[in-house]
Amino acid sequence: MSSTSTTRSTVAVEARGLTVRHGRRAAAALDDCSFRLPAGRVSALVGPNGAGKSTLLATLAGLLRPSAGTLTVLGAGPAETRERIAYLAQDKPLHPQLTIAETLRMGAELNPARWDAAYARAIIEQGKLAPGTKVRKLSGGQRTRVALALALGKRPDLMLLDEPMADLDPLARHELLGTLMADAAERGTTVLMSSHIVTELADACDHLLLLGDGRIRLGGGLDDLLLAHTVVTGRGTPAELAPHLVVESRAAGRGLTALIRNDGPVDERWQAEPPSLEELLLAHLRSPGTPALITPGTTAAPAAVTR
Amino acid sequence: MSTLTAGPRPSGPSRRLTSGLTWTMLRLHRTALFVWGGGLLTVLTALVWIHEAGPGIRSAVGDCTAADPFPMRCGFTHESAAEQVHTYGLALVSGCVTYLIYAIAVWAGAALTGRELESGTAHLAWTQSVTPARWLAAKLAVPAVLLTAGTTLAVLLCGWTRRAGDGELAGGWFITNVFISSGPVAVAYALAGLALGALAGLVLRRALPAAAAALAAAYVLHEVLDRFRMSLWPAVTTTGRAALHVPYGSMLLEHGSVTADGERVNTSLACVGTDGSALEACIRRGPWTDFWSTYQPQSHYWPLQLVESGLLLAVAGLATAVAFALLRRRHG
Repeated sequence: MSSTSTTRSTVAVEARGLTVRHGRRAAAALDDCSFRLPAGRVSALVGPNGAGKSTLLATLAGLLRPSAGTLTVLGAGPAETRERIAYLAQDKPLHPQLTIAETLRMGAELNPARWDAAYARAIIEQGKLAPGTKVRKLSGGQRTRVALALALGKRPDLMLLDEPMADLDPLARHELLGTLMADAAERGTTVLMSSHIVTELADACDHLLLLGDGRIRLGGGLDDLLLAHTVVTGRGTPAELAPHLVVESRAAGRGLTALIRNDGPVDERWQAEPPSLEELLLAHLRSPGTPALITPGTTAAPAAVTR
Repeated sequence: MSTLTAGPRPSGPSRRLTSGLTWTMLRLHRTALFVWGGGLLTVLTALVWIHEAGPGIRSAVGDCTAADPFPMRCGFTHESAAEQVHTYGLALVSGCVTYLIYAIAVWAGAALTGRELESGTAHLAWTQSVTPARWLAAKLAVPAVLLTAGTTLAVLLCGWTRRAGDGELAGGWFITNVFISSGPVAVAYALAGLALGALAGLVLRRALPAAAAALAAAYVLHEVLDRFRMSLWPAVTTTGRAALHVPYGSMLLEHGSVTADGERVNTSLACVGTDGSALEACIRRGPWTDFWSTYQPQSHYWPLQLVESGLLLAVAGLATAVAFALLRRRHG
């Protein structure tokens, strides 16, 4: 372990009643949002466009000030733990007038206590980028690589990545995701990344946060959430599936196919299958009214009495 | 891949002349730094040249230090190419120093803060180990130091050159450009421009609107102070014959005459500049019984400079405080 890493608690992020507005009169982008992200997990942040994913990541990175609620990141407020958090914004802002080498030098200058120059350089070399190239000359994917090198070079304990792989080609995506995951596994880094690419999530993540209308609608370990749901096929009506909660159902031939949230064993006249991640996400995205399900490990601790 | 999984080796930057935020600031705004350095060098070179050329030109133009109430007159009859270069050279330099506030305000609004917030590169700094407050402090402090040093140097050299001529070649101390470019007020203008521009960028968060707003703010500040400059320190009022001969080098604000009926006629320049028998004749011809003059004598140069500098620094301080408060409210 690096000499700069500190004792980790088991909770990386804890949010209680988090509310964030862009402007005083604007609708809340995050509305009374509560969850807990256990340390060491690689969590996928999914949700429809405008659900508040970028807002949540920027708030956790200490860039936006919540208008209500409490937020603890790595055991303190996000502003105090700035050094240990890496954040990759969706549009990967970089200074266009700097070269790649100068961008990395900036990382070293701005993170005097934590910078790992060799590691950052290796990420650049893996992409076969010449260090003397100006950032403004780079393609979208190359920029992403430089931005990731800048984010990873500080050897963070928590990585907040907003659509990190969106503009990378499949090969580069595989490589960079591999780098990211190797680092996370080796150092126990907590990762929270938003993405629209479900296959990317299924390979890389072991935890899920589904955001809708500014709140967590589905949260927990990926396996737990998949086990809690079943895809059933058979003849009957959605009402006959009680007491299970029907998340989504649609006609399939003369019967129906439904994704249900299990409440005890499923009746044998239904053909039951475990859902794929894609089925689970699509069913919940198509049925915004479904009650939230947050597993105990992902539920925020009850607020202190003194609040 | 194997190179990537090697254990972390934290390696801080080695000791250099500048490091951390200061290095980042200087590198990010290298073009502005070069423009400032180049401009300053040009101005200083021009001033030294004008200084060296001064004595020759003075002897060509003749003695203008006589207590002539209209000293500008002495130059015109002896106009020469060298004298023009001297006069217009000094005017150009003082103009550059005077209008520096506009360039600084636009640059600070657009490049220093506005563009960084527009493109999100400010967030890049804030998610390294740098708090927004430290970021803004560096954004303001590094240019403030360079601007103070450069402007001070230019003002000192400007004064040195001006004194090498007999002064009148360059216009009176009260002329806007001369006043601003000859004293500490020049540095205060530069700092006020910097603070107003940085604030505009933080408020608007976009480069182009911030540049426009900063330009407008600098214009208002410049014009308002220009209008009220001579009211910033109590003026001297004299009556009687002394009012017809205000001391050499004064800025005349008001002059008037009193008629035999006791009526006060403002802006009347009757009998000004006359003396002895001519004055007696003038008074006999007109209905005048008394005269008065209100003026700022040359000795008020320093109080006026210091009060205006104080006002400008107060504006700069206020803008800086608002900028920090805004950053804290928005980004915690």
